[in-house]
Amino acid sequence: MKIAVVGKGGSGKTTTSAVLARALSRGGRRVVALDCDTNPNLGISLGVGDLETQRLLTVREQVDEGEAEHAVTWADILERYGADAPDGVRLSVITRIENPEPG
Amino acid sequence: MIDPLRVAFVGKGGSGKSTISGSFARLLARRGEPVLALDSDPLPGMAYALGVPVDDTPLPDDVVVEGPEDGPRWVLHPDLDAAAVIERHATVCPDGVRYLQFGNLWGHISTLQRAQHAWSQVVRDVDPDRWHLVGDLPGGTRQAMFGWAKYADVVCVVVEPTAKSLHSAERLLNLSTATWAPRHLLLVANKVADGDEARRLGERLARPVAASVPLDADVARGDRLARAPLDAAPDGPFSDAVGGLIDHLRALDYDRAARGVT
Repeated sequence: MKIAVVGKGGSGKTTTSAVLARALSRGGRRVVALDCDTNPNLGISLGVGDLETQRLLTVREQVDEGEAEHAVTWADILERYGADAPDGVRLSVITRIENPEPG
Repeated sequence: MIDPLRVAFVGKGGSGKSTISGSFARLLARRGEPVLALDSDPLPGMAYALGVPVDDTPLPDDVVVEGPEDGPRWVLHPDLDAAAVIERHATVCPDGVRYLQFGNLWGHISTLQRAQHAWSQVVRDVDPDRWHLVGDLPGGTRQAMFGWAKYADVVCVVVEPTAKSLHSAERLLNLSTATWAPRHLLLVANKVADGDEARRLGERLARPVAASVPLDADVARGDRLARAPLDAAPDGPFSDAVGGLIDHLRALDYDRAARGVT
């Protein structure tokens, strides 16, 4: 199953995604939670904590700034840009931004 | 006219940027000041807060023409300047605020590009001595970090007392190290229970809290009915706090002489 959660800022996307991910994982599914937000806070709602959430953003910024290599495989993305969250969810903060157009 | 303010509001989605910036613009206009509200969020929050009856009011296609080959894709029509665009096309809002919208996403994307080029050029060229500028940016960090609040002397980071909002605010405070860092980068604590909570927010983020806007039940009810905050709660703690923010920003030192602005 692949689920995307969208909506206006503050409507509860991150909270809903986090609860969905942990509930599915508790039900025995293998779950990867992907934070694709340019302002990524999913780690906080999953419960990995402030510091780890901030660390994952820093790793992504290094990629955006060319200081670290892009991942080439899924396994690589999950390993290098990820963290273990409660209930067995694997969190990964990912990016596809290649050109810094605002908006 | 008092010294013009140039302020932009940034913060996490849902933190209350549009609510506060729209109300700020109206309260300033009620003091008899000329106010231009600048909305670069493609979602229509600021229009609601201003109390405009339309939520989609991009600049019309014909204010721009194709630009030179080596320049921007679209430029203002040669017969128009920023003042003329504002005079003819800014939306007139309650309390006399003039509203310039970036354009939201109902329209076709090509139309939006023209409106957005026009918006950017008007914001760049607007006479800073003629207007107070009150801007609302989209939620999150992206537009702010790419310099879309360059017109502002003061950037207010709107922050709620939640972990996610604090994280977003921490990231936005990095604006202080950008080449377009505003002269003042302040916190506006929103939806706080009391002054203590606002003070703790300021301590946690190591920044002064310029205003502490309380959770106001009338504003929240109005939001559900698509009523502008100042119409749903004409007086009371919300409008007092936003009015207090105007006074706070007026009292700041802008050192405009040093920048050649009179």
